[in-house]
Amino acid sequence: MKIEIKNLKKKFNENFVLKDISLTIEKNKSTIILGQSGCGKSVLIKIIYQLYGFDSGSILYNEKTEVDIEKFSMLFQYGALFDSLKISENIAFTDFINNKTDFEKKVLSLMSDVGLDKSNFDKYPSEISGGMKKRVALARALYKNPKVIFLDEPTTGLDPINSDKINELILQVITNRKITAVTITHDIKSAIKTGDNYYFIDKGIIQDKGDCKKILKTKNKVFKSFIKGADIKQ
Amino acid sequence: MKFIENIGEIPIKLFSSLGKFFLFIAFFFKYLLKPKFYLKNNLSYFINIFISSIPIIGLTGIFSGMVLALQSYTGFSRFSAESAIPNIVVLTLTRELGPVLTGLMISARVGSSIAAEIATMRVTEQIDALKTLNTNYYNYLVTPRVISLTLALPIFVTLVDFIGVMGGYLVSVHRLGFNDNLYLLNTINFLSLGDYLSGIIKAVTFGFIISIVSCYCGLFSDKGAFGVGSATTNAVVISSILILSSNYFLTELFF
Repeated sequence: MKIEIKNLKKKFNENFVLKDISLTIEKNKSTIILGQSGCGKSVLIKIIYQLYGFDSGSILYNEKTEVDIEKFSMLFQYGALFDSLKISENIAFTDFINNKTDFEKKVLSLMSDVGLDKSNFDKYPSEISGGMKKRVALARALYKNPKVIFLDEPTTGLDPINSDKINELILQVITNRKITAVTITHDIKSAIKTGDNYYFIDKGIIQDKGDCKKILKTKNKVFKSFIKGADIKQ
Repeated sequence: MKFIENIGEIPIKLFSSLGKFFLFIAFFFKYLLKPKFYLKNNLSYFINIFISSIPIIGLTGIFSGMVLALQSYTGFSRFSAESAIPNIVVLTLTRELGPVLTGLMISARVGSSIAAEIATMRVTEQIDALKTLNTNYYNYLVTPRVISLTLALPIFVTLVDFIGVMGGYLVSVHRLGFNDNLYLLNTINFLSLGDYLSGIIKAVTFGFIISIVSCYCGLFSDKGAFGVGSATTNAVVISSILILSSNYFLTELFF
């Protein structure tokens, strides 16, 4: 699914978080949205997902304003797993709460796809590590076979080894399943590894865009500072 | 100028919150009329509320009944009307103390936990996750809690009434020297169905108030640990005030 965003604006109270955002998410490509914490990346993908409204601008999904959000899926920053449900029930949430019982085979297959041992099937989220929670959240996001997957800082809170494993996994999943991916992150390494093209947001506008493989060759000063880890405000 | 703006901001915020709250109630009824019940979720929530509340309900009932018997004796013995104690205990408990004390205790025990749980779900993006999983949070979170608590409170009040009367009986018979058969007979003969039902109607109202206010405070909490704390405090304070004020109007209604 191709998604085109034009002149999008969003404010909370009187403060504009997104001042003027225009970008295109290409079908079956992995688009990375980069930016500092608090620059509105998460808000942007929640607007695209229609979880939040926006003040002005337009979003076209395959050139239409309407979209069936059943085709979308999201991996949340900290997993957003339901604490009172088992791992299997989290993954097959929709079927579980609708009293369907034949989800075991599909859940086990997904657990295997995301590298989770089947011994975790009956465990609760509090009994597994942060890295495993991300895997469960990814399995839950894949359960409904989405056409577009939104990944909100998938490597946040993970050590470099686990971050690398999650990046590998994401790359493998989006390549094998041929789905459109939109990832937000401030991790340049993840962007280069998992993305096709990137957009860099700062102060509510797109400051830079391009090919992920050429991120390090950017000429944009603000983005260069970001890459170097310097404080962009200075 | 800033001072005047600040004064004006208070009623604007108040009316905007009230409007939001009434819209929330309207949406609750909208989804209740075209319900999608998650039976397992509803049932487990009802059982959970029931089991976790029984100990405090028992303690509230027994001590209220015991204190009521002692205090009534202090007053009535001054004009030789001790025989009215069973009547006063049962009437006060069923019409007034049972529903109000149960409401306040449940708002502290269950209301706070509902608000904290939902506010934490909001902070950890679980509410957003529900939306992405095509699940309406009114049906999944709000309806089970409101229905469970609205149905559970009359049961709790009946228990408090019964245990309270037994508490009054224990003190009256073993401490104040009442005849046991006479005490029970007076209690049963004096109590009318109307007295009991007026308390039950109050219980249903209080159950609805506690659950809807707690769900609202949880769902519209601010982010972070402070937001969860505020949601919990607001849920208990607002529920308690609404219980006490609506109690007056309901009492007027059944007067």
